[in-house]
Amino acid sequence: MMRTIEILLVIVIITGAFIIASLFAVLPSPRQVSPLNLKTLALTTLQTLDGDYNLSMTVFKANNDPAWAQLQIALSACLPPNMIYNLTVYEVQGGAQLYTAIKSFSNAENLGVSSQAASYLVASSNVTFEVIPEKIGEQGSGGTLYILNCGDANGWWITGYTAQSLAQDLHKLLSPYFKNTIMVQDTAQLGQMLNNQSLQGETVQNAVVINTFGECVPIPMDYCDGYARANEGYNSSASATYPYTRYSYTLGQMTRQYNWTWVSIVGYPFYYVSNKGVFGSQTNGYGICGMKMVNQGGINAFLQGLDNQPYHYNTTSVAGKAGLVSLSSKVADLCNYYGIYPSPNQTSTRALSTSILSYNLTVALKVFDQVGSLNPGAVYNHVFRNSVDITGSFLALGLTRTPDIRLTALGLLSYYNPRIYASDYTGNGTSRLVVFQLGQAGGA
Amino acid sequence: MPASTIDHVVALTVFLAAILLFIGLFNQTIQTAVLYQQHRHLATVCSDLLDNIMLNPGYPLNWGKTNSTPTSFGLQDPEFTQYRLSPYSLMRLQSLTGIPFTYPRTGETYSNMSMGFGNFLFVPYTKAINYSIAAQLLGTTNTYGFNLTITPIVTVSVEETRAASPLRLVVHVAGPGFPLSNAEVSYCFVKVVPKGPQKIPSYSSLFNTTYTDYTGSAVINIANVVANDAYVLIAYAHMSGLVGIGYHERAIGTARTQYVLPLIDSFADRRVLLVHSYNVHDFGPPNAAVFFNATFVLLTTDFTLREMPMEGESTGKLGKVVYGQGTEKTYQNLTIPTYNPGILVISYHADNDDGIVVMPWGISSMAFPVTFGTTASNPEWVVTDIRQVLVNGVAYQAKLSLWSLQGYGVTS
Repeated sequence: MMRTIEILLVIVIITGAFIIASLFAVLPSPRQVSPLNLKTLALTTLQTLDGDYNLSMTVFKANNDPAWAQLQIALSACLPPNMIYNLTVYEVQGGAQLYTAIKSFSNAENLGVSSQAASYLVASSNVTFEVIPEKIGEQGSGGTLYILNCGDANGWWITGYTAQSLAQDLHKLLSPYFKNTIMVQDTAQLGQMLNNQSLQGETVQNAVVINTFGECVPIPMDYCDGYARANEGYNSSASATYPYTRYSYTLGQMTRQYNWTWVSIVGYPFYYVSNKGVFGSQTNGYGICGMKMVNQGGINAFLQGLDNQPYHYNTTSVAGKAGLVSLSSKVADLCNYYGIYPSPNQTSTRALSTSILSYNLTVALKVFDQVGSLNPGAVYNHVFRNSVDITGSFLALGLTRTPDIRLTALGLLSYYNPRIYASDYTGNGTSRLVVFQLGQAGGA
Repeated sequence: MPASTIDHVVALTVFLAAILLFIGLFNQTIQTAVLYQQHRHLATVCSDLLDNIMLNPGYPLNWGKTNSTPTSFGLQDPEFTQYRLSPYSLMRLQSLTGIPFTYPRTGETYSNMSMGFGNFLFVPYTKAINYSIAAQLLGTTNTYGFNLTITPIVTVSVEETRAASPLRLVVHVAGPGFPLSNAEVSYCFVKVVPKGPQKIPSYSSLFNTTYTDYTGSAVINIANVVANDAYVLIAYAHMSGLVGIGYHERAIGTARTQYVLPLIDSFADRRVLLVHSYNVHDFGPPNAAVFFNATFVLLTTDFTLREMPMEGESTGKLGKVVYGQGTEKTYQNLTIPTYNPGILVISYHADNDDGIVVMPWGISSMAFPVTFGTTASNPEWVVTDIRQVLVNGVAYQAKLSLWSLQGYGVTS
C-alpha cells in the first residue's frame, strides 16, 4: 500500500508541475502569431501620401482647411478596412518643449488592444534646408582628393566589394568637401600622379590619396620589372621573394615629396601590388590574379621612404591584433556633425604598433582608442626632427575585413575638420512631425 | 500472492499510466509552443523578404530596362529611395495569373498581363523573370514559397452611360470600399477617324480635367461622338497624394476579331511588335489586313496627360499587318520614343472593325496589377505582410504571402 501512496504523491507532484508550467506557457493572441508589420505599414502609408509632397503641404495648412478632410479621406481609402488609426501633427520648435500637438484625427474612439506608430518629419515648402560644406583646401593649398579606381588592378581584403564600388561610395561621401575630386581610372593615371602630372588641372601637392584596393596597391606598368622605372618599383637584390617591396618605398617618398595624405582603408597596408596587365595570371597566393605579394616589408619600406631613409628590406611586423575597438570620443562626437554613423565598435586585427612613431611620426588623430601599444586607426603626420612642417601624412585603418568605407570618410573629415553651414531644422515653423498610429479592429 | 507484490504491481501500473498521460500533456504544450515559434519566425521572414524586394533595386540597377537576367533581385526604382518601385522591373515579372500564348511567327511564348480586351501587356518569356530565377536570387529555393501581388490602391472605373451626342462617361474613383470625393480627374480621350477601306486610320484626341463629387464620381460629356465611333478614355485621378488610373474603350465591329496586338519584343531597345490578332487567336479563315496608327501618351508631373509625338514612320507608328505569309508584313516593329512611363495608344481599322488598343509602357501608367510567384500547394501556414508603395507616383499596395517548404509538418 505504501508504494501506491508514494506513486499517488508522485502524480500529485507531476500534476502540480504541469499546472505551473501551463500557467507560464500562455498562448499568444492570434494577432501576435502572424502579425502585420503595422509600424512599417504606417510609415509606408505616410511616404505614399507624401510621394508628391502633398502631405508636407497639408500639414502646414490652417486647421480648418479642406485639405485636412481630403487627407482623412485619402487615409481611409488607402488602408485596409480593418485598420484603425490616429494621426497627430506636432509643431517642432526650439525651447523647453520641443513638440506641440496642433492637429489630431482618428477613425475610431480607441486603437484597440495594441497599436504601433511611425513618425515622419516634414519640412515646410517655404523653407529651404541647405548644408554648405567648407571645401578642404579652400583657404590654403591642396584640396585635391584622389580616389584610386584603377580598372586594371584587383583589390584584396575588401571582401564583398570591388574597389570601384568603394570608390563610388567615397566619391559620394567626400566630394562635397574637396575642391577637386579625381577618380584615378587606371594605373597609367596613377603613374602620372606619381610623376607630379596633373590629371584634370588639379593640384597634386597636398592631396589626399585614398587607396580603395584594401591591402593591395595598384602599381603602374612603368614601375614593374622590365619597364622604364623598374628600379623605383622592383628590387630583387634586397629581396628575391618580394622584389616589389621597393614600390612601397617609392610611394613613401612621393607622399613626403608631395605632402600627400595616403589613406589605407582596411587591413595590413602595402601587403600586395596589383597590375592585371603585367602580372596576368600570377596570383597573390589566394587565387586573385594580377597580384603579387609584398608581405610585411611593404609598410616598413613605405615608412622608410616617408622618412627619407635609405631603402633596405625589413620584414619586421609592425601590426597586431587589437580585438574589439571603439571610436575615439572626438571622432564619435563628429559623427553627428558630419551625419555619418558607422558602428562605434569594430574589430581590429591589423592595428599598427606605436613602434612606427620612430619614423618621425606623430599621431595627429586617433580614429579609434589606442589598445596597449596598438593604434587600430589613426592619422599620422610626418615631421622631421627640428622642423615644424608636415611632410606627408598617413591614415591607416587596421580593421579586419569587410571594410566600412564610412570610417575612412569619417576619419578624413575628423582630421581636416571642414565646417558645414547648415540651416536650423528646429527653427519655429520650419518642420512638423507627423505621428501615425495604427491598430487593428476586431478580434482579441 | 503477498500484499507487497500486489502493492508493487498496482503502484507500477498507476505510475506507468500517469507517466504516459503526462508525456502526452507536456507534449501538447511543447508542440503548441514550437508551432507558434515556427509561425512567428515565418512572419518575420515574410516581413524581411518583402523589405528585401521593395528596398533593393537589384543588380544591374536598371535591369528592368534591359533584356538581361539580373544577378540580384529587387524591385526598387534605382532613381529613388524608400518604397518606390520601378515600373519597368515590375513589367518584367512573369505573370502568375494570365494565360500565356505562343506567337508562331517568332516562336516566342508570352506572359500575359492583360486586363481584358484592348488593354494588353504581353512580355516574352525569354525577357521575363520567372519565379524560379527570383527564388534563386532571393535564396528561398526549397526553403520558402512566396507569392507577391502588387495592386493599385485607388480604383478608377469608367462607365459609358450614353453612347452618343454627347457621349457620356462616368468615372468612379474609390479606395478599398471608400469613394474619393473631390478628387481631380485628368483624362485623355482618343477617337478613331477611319479614312476609308484599306487605309490607315487617323485619330483625334482631347485632354481635359474635372473633379469627382461626394460619391467619388465625375461625369464627362464629349460632343461630336456618334454611336459607331471607336474611342478610348484614359483617366488619372489624384487626391492627397493618392493617384489611380482607369480606362475604357469602345471597339466597333460585329465580332471584335480583327485588331492589332502589341507584343513587347525588347526592353533595351523599347521595341514592340504589332501583330495581327488572327496570328495569335485562331479565329478561323484568314481575314483582312489591319491598318493602324499609333501614338504615345504621357502622364506629366502636374498630373495632366500629354501626347508625345512619335518620330515619323521610322518608328513604325503607321502601317498595316496581315494574317498571311506572303510578301506583306505579318508584324511590324514599333519603337517607343522614351523610357518615361506612358501609354501606347494604337488606333486600328480593318474592314468592318474599328477600335483602339492600349498598352502600358511601365506597369504604373495603366495601374496594371502584378501577380508574381507560385501557388501554395496545401501549406500548413501562410503568412502575409503588406506595404504601401509608389510606382512612378501611382499608389499601390504590395502584399507578400509566404509559406515554408522545409521542416516537419509544413503541409496541412
